[in-house]
Amino acid sequence: MEAGTVVARPGPYAEAVHPGTTPRTGILKWLLTSDHKLIGTMYIWLAFFFFAIAGAFAMVMRTQLAAPGLHVLRPEVYNQIMSLHGTFMVFFFTIPIMAGIANYVVPIQIGARDMAFPRLNAVSFWLLVPAGSLMLASLFLQGGAAAAGWTSYPPLTNRQYSPGPGVDLWILGLHLAGASSILGGINFVVTILNLRAPGMKMFKMPMFCWTVLVTQTIILIATPILAGALTMALTDRMFGTGFFQAVAGGDPVLWQHLFWFYSHPAVYIMVLPGMGMISQILPAFSGKHLFGYKGMVLATAGIGFIGFLVWGHHMFATGIDYRLRQFFSFASMVIAVPTGIKIWSWLATIWGGSLRFRTPMLFALGFIALFIIGGITGIWLALVPFDVQVHDTYFVVAHLHYVLFGGSLMAIMAGIYYWLPKISGKLYNEFWGKVHFWLTFIGMNLTFMPMHMMGMLGMPRRIYTYRPEFAIWNHIASAGAAVLGVGMTIFALNMLLSLWRGRRAPADPWNHSDETRTLEWTVSSPPPAENFHTIPVIR
Amino acid sequence: MKNGRAWALLLMVGLGIAAAALIASPAGAWLLHPATPVAREVRTLFYKAVAVTAFFFILAEGLLLIAVLRFRAKPGVPAATWHENFKLEIVWTAIPAIAMVILSGPAFTTMKYMETTPKSELQIEVVGHQWFWEYRYPKYGVIFANEALVVPFGKIISANVTSIDVVHSWFVPDFGIKMDANPGRINHVWFQVDHPGTYKGQCAELCGVLHGQMFITVNVVTPEEFERWIEQKKKGA
Ligand SMILES: [Cu+2]
Ligand SMILES: [Cu+2]
Repeated sequence: MEAGTVVARPGPYAEAVHPGTTPRTGILKWLLTSDHKLIGTMYIWLAFFFFAIAGAFAMVMRTQLAAPGLHVLRPEVYNQIMSLHGTFMVFFFTIPIMAGIANYVVPIQIGARDMAFPRLNAVSFWLLVPAGSLMLASLFLQGGAAAAGWTSYPPLTNRQYSPGPGVDLWILGLHLAGASSILGGINFVVTILNLRAPGMKMFKMPMFCWTVLVTQTIILIATPILAGALTMALTDRMFGTGFFQAVAGGDPVLWQHLFWFYSHPAVYIMVLPGMGMISQILPAFSGKHLFGYKGMVLATAGIGFIGFLVWGHHMFATGIDYRLRQFFSFASMVIAVPTGIKIWSWLATIWGGSLRFRTPMLFALGFIALFIIGGITGIWLALVPFDVQVHDTYFVVAHLHYVLFGGSLMAIMAGIYYWLPKISGKLYNEFWGKVHFWLTFIGMNLTFMPMHMMGMLGMPRRIYTYRPEFAIWNHIASAGAAVLGVGMTIFALNMLLSLWRGRRAPADPWNHSDETRTLEWTVSSPPPAENFHTIPVIR
Repeated sequence: MKNGRAWALLLMVGLGIAAAALIASPAGAWLLHPATPVAREVRTLFYKAVAVTAFFFILAEGLLLIAVLRFRAKPGVPAATWHENFKLEIVWTAIPAIAMVILSGPAFTTMKYMETTPKSELQIEVVGHQWFWEYRYPKYGVIFANEALVVPFGKIISANVTSIDVVHSWFVPDFGIKMDANPGRINHVWFQVDHPGTYKGQCAELCGVLHGQMFITVNVVTPEEFERWIEQKKKGA
């Protein structure tokens, strides 16, 4: 973490990556670029575009569920909107925006001029455009979009029960997004292992780089499994291969194993980079070193590794073997230990610090407060008998939103507010940033806390309307969603206003202390082409 | 500004308390009225889990709140410089690890209890369809669909659960039962209901357009009433 000491003398990587190119202007500058900063920026824009759509889907769902027996959406449309909300939030918002922020920040933090494979980087990004668009377009086709949830369990996704092209486009979209992830994974791992500036030893890397390294390794191991499962689902639909069909000698439960072998680690793909951001933002606004840097690295790697051993905890009600359930249950409880290490270390980081409550810091502290709740309910859900009781109810919806909204999204917001001045070179309005935080924090709890109660009362998830006894908690959740909607609108306006007429940001708008200043804050905002005039040497 | 901060903190405390109260309050129906021995065991396990995790929850959220209140930047007060403490790290790794091992004990015992069916006194079959439930009583040759399941109270009932089309899940919260109905597979559950009454549930696995309308009603009656009911059903069929 002592990345603050920068000695300006040319190292072995001093020569430019793209010698002799003349800078393009206008739209071509974006379409043809292989610059990690432009690609990172486009990732962030595209992810927020999909976030707006998936968020609007959530608003429509909460309107339909505001009271029992409403007819805002027909049941089949509700199922499509619900499926696309999950799919887009996971595959087209959270995973890409993490890749986008990492794309922008990691090469600068390790003192590199660009990613290791700049053109491949552009391919990774552009694959996402048809991926998301195809899936969205399926809404308007005959039969509509895929409607089997983001988990798409067969046989419901077989041709017999989902005849339209929606599921085919869902599979195609995920295949493209998966290819984008895999290519990005290769690029990040090679970049971090090979392009570090002289003196930037692995254990001197900022924590964010470590979490990206672990995340991208998880992506490289897990995503091919998803791709295989998707291909099997596709051939089942197209050629009747019957991998997941009992009547054809296959097994629907096989899909669940393969899907969760990817999708549980995917939770860490979505959360670990956020934890990396938090591990930099807390020190930055406490004026204090990150506590227990090496322990944090080990905890990150530990979460990444154990994350591959717990997929069965999504299948406790499926009827899998007793001993398997025992194993998955215990492994899931074990994850609490490295997660705990992180939480205690963050608390020790701010303890005794000199805290400045700027917007990124508020979101980082909000992240800790909410992630603790998601972590605790996660331990409960690891206990098989309790899990069976609330599995596939709103309790799980509550838990996963405390992890992915309270965790990933709060961290993403913290990261965006933290690095936006670096990326755009413009400052934003701090007051409206804080308003956004409070509306998000309050709205989040109003929306998702009651869902614990719905689940305890036995309200299943993924239903388009519900029995009257669940009404009161649903009223509160829908009101909370409205608060979130207002908060997110303020966020969008504040950011756009900042881009349009924000004041110019200095190189280090946050006045980092010497111990907490990583390399991106030593160059101008936005950083110059190829990031450094001379490659820094880290002492 | 000072005032605003006080309000913000008050709000955070309030939300924290509300969160704890909501999570821990025994307002869930199966928590108030567990209807089977299994549901009672699940409730006991839940309370144990709450007891163990509440300690960490209060400690972590409490420290966060205190840190936010105490360590606001003040001019002339520099930040501390320590950032390592090996002993502390060992402690906060070991204690949660021990807690998890302790918690896994009752979890596995309860799981074993759910898993092992005592000698069953009535066998039924539950078959999921898009979008209704079919019930069979093989011993009596009774099959019907789209009506309430009827069982006698106090008797140990074992159910084979399967599906004819897509995955469904047979879920009656007060019984502590949720079991996926997979096509091509037969899953097994048992229950013994303490009191007569009407118990409600619904399908818990997304199974298509009308998943939200796939309700379950179980009428639990006295053994005599059950005999009369099944005789009638036999004649009707
Ligand atoms: Cu999982
Ligand atoms: Cu269903």
